[in-house]
Amino acid sequence: MKLNLHDISFAYHLDIIIKDINCSFVSGNFYSIIGPNGSGKTTLLDLISGFLAPCTGKIDIDQKPVLSLSTKEIAKKIALVSQDYTINFPFTVKEVVMMGRHPYIPRFSQPSGNDMEKVNKMMEVTGIRHLQDRKINELSGGERQRCVFARALCQDTQVLLLDEAFSNMDINHTLQMLSIVKQSVKEKNKLVISVFHDLNLASSWSDALLMLKEGEIKAFGNSQDVLTQQTIKDVFNVTSIVEFNKYVQAKQVYYPSI
Amino acid sequence: MILFSLFLVLMILISLSMGYISIPIMDIITILYGKISGNLQIIENTREVYLAVIFDVRLPRILTCAGVGAALAVSGGLFQGILLNPLADPYTLGVSAGAAFGACIAILLNLSAAFVSVPAFAFTGACTTLFVVIFLSYSSKNPMSGLSSNNLILSGIIVAAILSAGISFLKFIANEQVSVIIFWLMGSFASKTWLDFIAVMIFLIIGFFISMFYARDLNLISLGAKSATSLGVNLKRVTIILLVTGSMLAAICVSVSGIIGFVGLLVPHTVRFITGPDNRKLIPLSMLAGAFLLLFADTITRAVLPHEIPIGVLTALTGGPVFCWIFKKSKFK
Repeated sequence: MKLNLHDISFAYHLDIIIKDINCSFVSGNFYSIIGPNGSGKTTLLDLISGFLAPCTGKIDIDQKPVLSLSTKEIAKKIALVSQDYTINFPFTVKEVVMMGRHPYIPRFSQPSGNDMEKVNKMMEVTGIRHLQDRKINELSGGERQRCVFARALCQDTQVLLLDEAFSNMDINHTLQMLSIVKQSVKEKNKLVISVFHDLNLASSWSDALLMLKEGEIKAFGNSQDVLTQQTIKDVFNVTSIVEFNKYVQAKQVYYPSI
Repeated sequence: MILFSLFLVLMILISLSMGYISIPIMDIITILYGKISGNLQIIENTREVYLAVIFDVRLPRILTCAGVGAALAVSGGLFQGILLNPLADPYTLGVSAGAAFGACIAILLNLSAAFVSVPAFAFTGACTTLFVVIFLSYSSKNPMSGLSSNNLILSGIIVAAILSAGISFLKFIANEQVSVIIFWLMGSFASKTWLDFIAVMIFLIIGFFISMFYARDLNLISLGAKSATSLGVNLKRVTIILLVTGSMLAAICVSVSGIIGFVGLLVPHTVRFITGPDNRKLIPLSMLAGAFLLLFADTITRAVLPHEIPIGVLTALTGGPVFCWIFKKSKFK
């Protein structure tokens, strides 16, 4: 499966957020999007998920334009873990995770045995099974993010978009979630695109990095090529030391204190 | 659910028996049974006056009242879900002010001679308000912020403020009709007919069906616009359909019985403590609870109190403190 972006541009009123982006994402790979605040990372994910329509250009999923599909069809192909994980009413954890099965459950029907099984399994692997009857708004930020993450896994889609999905998790849970994702990419040939702020995690876990600055692609490729002192200086305006770390088996970035 | 239905039926029976002429409950059951089964012989040996009291006076009023309570509660539940705010009520979007404005015009122009005109004007006013509010908060350019709860609440408040100034002006120029306007605004179920009941029931049944059809989508809306869309909810369509449904329910209630506050706010909010926030359970239970509560209040004002006081005043006077208590208690549990 392949996701193609052709000449994508997007603007809110006159502010251009995304400028002429061309790229392809192929399943079986874990991609990371990195870039400074306001560089258009989230907007790019919104365009891919069909939540926003590009001003120019088009996005194809397996040669079909995303916007030609209904929201329900998109929901069976693309899942999104958004940055905004506040939930306005006190649903239980289990109810929230079950919402991931929404596109598959017909109106007026109860969840099938298969749905229940998936929900229980995903709560198990994300380590929130013991919280299942708790109210979502009583949990900590990191626990809530794991619920939202489990919900997206239940959606059982080929494409998974993560918008800073780990921002509030401790390092133990972050690594657990990343390994779940990585495993599904390799074993089930899924496609994951994740927005990261931590360059080192992005480098060690992803197959390719996409570096955004002011809505344009500054670099796209494996971490070896993308992460250099020069690109990091250009994009983030910080001085850094970048070197291959043999324990991590990937490039790592270090920031000297001033 | 079944328990609540039983409560409601019991309340209807009790309410039927109470009033200026009190009728034994057994007689009521016999009469109702006879009417429904078509077995008129059973009725023959009951008193004629009971029949008139039940079928021409009390039953239409009681059923209209229950219908209005149910519709207000469903409408309140919908608004709380769409506006992502457990404190929203059917009047948040200014529907009540619109209806009141319409009714004031009808009363002022002395159209009340023709029977339907006050409710019809009220209904038109409510619908016009709704469309103005939706128009104000809708933007085709930016799908993300259009119809967001903040926009809707803000437009609703602005429109309602303009309309209440308009109502004040109408009252000012109304002279001797001002008391009619004030009484209408306070709400009452006195002298409701079968026609009112049928009108409310049609809206209630359609509205309830639509609400249940989209109940699961309404659950997902509470995850936020982006997550709901990514889970396959057509946000714009669901929002508009449910807004119109909720407002139509509120509009029919206001046009039939005037402005009755607190039922739409209090009932779904309280029922949520029992059922949790799942709208598939919340909406049907709110409907029954709303019917029960409003009928209870109406029975008190009709049969228990020495003078009939406007039901809108009674619900706000009793509902308000109850709400304060629930609010305080739930907050620090």
